[in-house]
Parts: sequence; C-alpha cells; structure tokens
Amino acid sequence: MSALLRVENVTMRFGGLVALNDVTFSVKKGSVLAVIGPNGAGKSTLFNVVTGVYKPTAGRMTFDGADITSKPSYEVVRRGIARTFQSSRLFSDLSVLDNVIIGMHTRTKTGVLDALFRPGASRREMAACVEKAEALLQAGSGDLYEQRNRPAGTLAQADRRRLEIARALASQPKLILLDEPSVGMDDKETDALVADIKRLRSGHPELSVILIEHDMRVVGAFPEHVMCIDYGSRIAEGSFETVRANPRVQEAYLGKAAAHA
Amino acid sequence: MGLSASPAAPGAAAAAAFTILSQLCGAAFLYVLLKADGSWQVMGLLALLGVGFFLLERFPGIGEFITASLTRVPLVTAATAAIIVLGFPFVVGSNTYILHLLIVAQLYAVLALALNFQLGSANIPNFATGASYGIGAYVSALLALNFGMSFWLTLPIAALAATLFGFIIGIPSMRTRDTYLALVTIAFGVVVQQLLNNFDWTGGPNGLVGIPAPSLFGHSFASPLQVFGWKLPSQANFYYLAAALVVVAVVTAQRLHGSRIGLAWNALRADEIAAKAQGINVAWYKVLAFAVDAFLAAFAGTIYAFYVSYISPDNFTFLVSVTIMTMVIVGGMDNIFGVIVGAFLLTILPEKLRAFSDYRLLFFGVVVIGFLMIRPQGLFPQRLRQYGVHR
Repeated sequence: MSALLRVENVTMRFGGLVALNDVTFSVKKGSVLAVIGPNGAGKSTLFNVVTGVYKPTAGRMTFDGADITSKPSYEVVRRGIARTFQSSRLFSDLSVLDNVIIGMHTRTKTGVLDALFRPGASRREMAACVEKAEALLQAGSGDLYEQRNRPAGTLAQADRRRLEIARALASQPKLILLDEPSVGMDDKETDALVADIKRLRSGHPELSVILIEHDMRVVGAFPEHVMCIDYGSRIAEGSFETVRANPRVQEAYLGKAAAHA
Repeated sequence: MGLSASPAAPGAAAAAAFTILSQLCGAAFLYVLLKADGSWQVMGLLALLGVGFFLLERFPGIGEFITASLTRVPLVTAATAAIIVLGFPFVVGSNTYILHLLIVAQLYAVLALALNFQLGSANIPNFATGASYGIGAYVSALLALNFGMSFWLTLPIAALAATLFGFIIGIPSMRTRDTYLALVTIAFGVVVQQLLNNFDWTGGPNGLVGIPAPSLFGHSFASPLQVFGWKLPSQANFYYLAAALVVVAVVTAQRLHGSRIGLAWNALRADEIAAKAQGINVAWYKVLAFAVDAFLAAFAGTIYAFYVSYISPDNFTFLVSVTIMTMVIVGGMDNIFGVIVGAFLLTILPEKLRAFSDYRLLFFGVVVIGFLMIRPQGLFPQRLRQYGVHR
C-alpha cells in the first residue's frame, strides 16, 4: 500500500527545548492513525509541523508524492491536508455557515477583479458554496444545520467541535488531522463523534485521518494503527493492543490515566 | 437572538412606504444639522440623535424592522437614495458653504470606506490612509500642472500610483502585527508627508497652486451648473462628482464584502492562525487590503486636489489618518452604511462646533475613547451575512 503522508526523522527544536525528536511514521491512504501521549508530549507540535505552521529543524515530509517540508500553510491545505485545533479556533463573530464557506477557500477562485467586474460569477460561486456548506452541516451529528445563521461563538462546546470538523472537510482534504475532537463532549456526544468519523470514512474510503486523543474509548474505536509519543519521541507504534501492553507506554501515560480512573 | 426573519416582517407596500419615509427622515436630519447655527442647536440635534440610538439599543426590534424593510424592497431603497442625493443641492440652493461641507463629507466617506477594508474587515490598523490620499492628490495635480493632462486621465494614473504605494507599505507590514503594524503605518504616513514637504518638485511647504478645474463635454466644473432652468453654484459639479465616487466606493465595498475575499479578510480578523489553516494566504490578503485602501483613497485625493485647486502637505497629515480611523470606529466597523454615517457626522460636527475648534484633536480622542468604552461596535454594528433570503 502506498503511504499518503510520510514523515521522516522530523525534529523540531525551540531554542534548547526539543519538542519533536527524530519522529518517523507514515499514514496509508484511507487509514486512521491515532496519536496518543501525555500532555506536552509534542502531539500538537507534530500537527503544527505537518501543516506548515512550524518549519521543522530537521527531517523531511512528503504528502501524496510531493515534498511538503517547509511549505507554507496555505500550500499544504491546497494539497489536501485539513486540520482542527485542540482549543477550537472558530471565526466566532461570523455565522456557522460562513465558517464552513471559509473552509472552501482553496477550492474557490474569485479574485479582486472578478469580484468587482464579474459580480455574477462571484455570486454564483458563493451560492454554490452555500449549498455545499449546508450539505456538510446536515451530514454530521447534532443540529448544526438548524443553527447555521447563528454566530459561531454562541455554539455549545460539542457543536463547536463538530463545526470545526465540517469546516476542515469543506476543503475536500485527502488527510484530516483531528486534534482531540472529543474534548468537552459528554459520553453520548463522544459516541456520536465516533459514529461521525466512521460514517465519514465509509463515505470517503480514500480519506485518511490522524487523530490526537486522550479518550481511550475513541482510540479503541480505531485500533489498527496507534502511535505513542513522549518527550517528543515516538516510543511505541502498532495496534492499540500492542501499544497498550508496551511497558514504556504504561509508564509514560496509562499509569497516570489508570491512577485517575 | 431573533436572527431569522422576525414575525413582524413588513409587506412589500408597507416596506416601500417605510423605506421612503425613513430615508427622508435621515435626509431631513442631515439638512437641519447642516443648517443649524450655534452650538446649542447642534447640541440639541446631537441629543436627539443620542435618544434615537438609545431607543435602537433598548428595542432592537426597531433596527431589525428598518433593515428588513430596506432589504425587502432594494429597488425602492436605491431609487429613494438616488433621488435624495441628486435633489439635495436643489434644496440647499445657493448656500455654497453647505455644499462644501457635503463634498468634504463625501470624500471622507470614500476614505473611511477605503480604510474599512483594513480596519473593519481585516482588523489592520492602518494610519497611512492620509498618505495614500495625499499621493493621489499630488500625482494627479503634478500630471495636470506639468503635462496638462485632463482630470479624467489623471484619475486612474493617480489611483495606480497610490496602489503601488499600498503594496510598498503592505509588504514590510506583513511581518508585523497589531501595535507594531500600526507603528509601521504611522512611520510611512509621516515619511510621505515629510517628503512632500521637502522635495522641490512637489512645491515644498507651499504646495501646488492653480490646479485647473476639470471639464466634461465642454462644461467646466468651475462654472455654475444649469439644470432645467435651475442654476446651482459651481460647487454642485464637485458635489455630484464626489457622490459618484461614493457610489463607486459603496459598490466596491459591497462586492468585495460579499465575495470570498471579504470572507477571507473577516477570517484573518477573527483568528489569523485558523485562517492560515483554511488555506488563506494571510500575507497576500493583508497586502491586498492595503492596495484596495490606497486605490480608493487616491480617487478621493484626486477629486480633492481638483476641487480646491490648491494642495499642500498640511492637507495630508497624520491627523487626517486619525480622523478617518475615528470615522470607521464611530460609524461601525465592517458596516458600509455605518461608516458613511460616521464620516458625515465627524466632518460636519467639528465644523458646527467651531467654538471648540482649538480642541479638535481632543474631541476626536474623547470620541474614540468614549466609543471604545461604551459602544465598541460603533453606531451601526457589523451584521452577519444572510444567504438566500429571496430564494
């Protein structure tokens, strides 16, 4: 099977701090990779490096056959990597619908001159975006569609996470990075989220997902490929069972979680 | 939040009647304000305005009803506005002072709309709009004086020159943000004014004198305007020219706001990192906002230069940029109508309150601080985009 995303020996240093240390992994087309690890292990940094927010200090990344190391964010998104944020970053003073339409930025192309001198074309493009956005809002769980004309900042926590996912999907990605999508959700909402992701995968069999999660029920729902990071280094990789059984993982992560439970 | 169509949505006939009535009221208020003599009358009118906004704040239904009526019958709205704008000079008659105020107010409305692309849509604090305005004025004046070019030819050339300037400030500004960005633009504004003051070919502190009045189809803008036997003072020519420019600015603002460009600007205003993650080339869109701002400001500058026929660096100081910024903040960021109201109020009030003219800067300072504290969204807050209302 061909790897969609290949991350090779990526290191990210901030001054003396090593946030990612020689991380290597790959994601196959249509698969889910769950990334686990304690707080501060470097999971979100990994997302930021892959999406071009940070330039890696060393290492190489290829996506869909092209080198994306040190490419700017907008270029990475255009190539088909979309993401959500751990602390949801919505455009809170814009409507729910506008948030999703902005997600289509790389798939639309009206420029300033088009907008000024070909208003009909610009309006048609927006109308098409509205239609697609409404379809995306109807696809997920919850009642986002009914709330489409509300400012995004007034949504409940679970709806904010759902909206972030809808916005990421609006760019028609080949790979979607979900940064702790279940944060702020109760058990029922988390189950709906897992169902959403599963439905999404059956609808788009080509779509790959990287999932950062703390909730082991979510990770357990996608057990084929799990990677554990601690202190910026990959300490285990494999199926959920093997990673969970790994003594280093238990020491770094599950030990703490078990004490909690 | 009653964001969907309110149950009291008016019928077409009622909406049309209400639309005409509300716009006539607005025009009447403007007329009385322009005619007002003495600080007490102006204060009274301001109090009336204050009561109006207090009622709007207490009963948001009123505002919703007005906007619902206006958007229900867009053709009636546009036609009424056109008739009011075209007819206003006839009502004002031979009072050239009022016409002058209206011309300046309209030019400031264009400048405020230009800045609104940055401050309102994209939250870029640009203090160099006055400089773009000056570049437009100087480029067109120099072309007219040295090469005898006509006004109509200098208009696009000046706009392109200022746009180039917009790109030039935009590019270093990409790397800075917030306060630092504001500082960079202040520096650019001051540098431009100093250069105009010190170059020989710009006339130095004496400026440029004797800019010829434009003419159209043989009619010189310096001569009175004859319409159907009515004789309007020569200022009326520039009044209509400035009104046409306001229309251009409003259409530009509406089209950009309604397209994906306006959305991209709004996205980077709300959250720059999230905007990047949606594939928006943040740096490019910031530079674009600078360029559009400079383009429109230069149009206003050209008309100003040909209107007053004498320009000097003093017309384009840092204070001008501050004034424009105040208008956007007071009127309402990212609200086209609000920005125009802000421009009119802040052009006319300082003229009417002449008794306090020594404290003009203080006045603007107090107004900005007051608004940021009491009503940071401005007189007319930005509205959510509505799609498919007439589907």
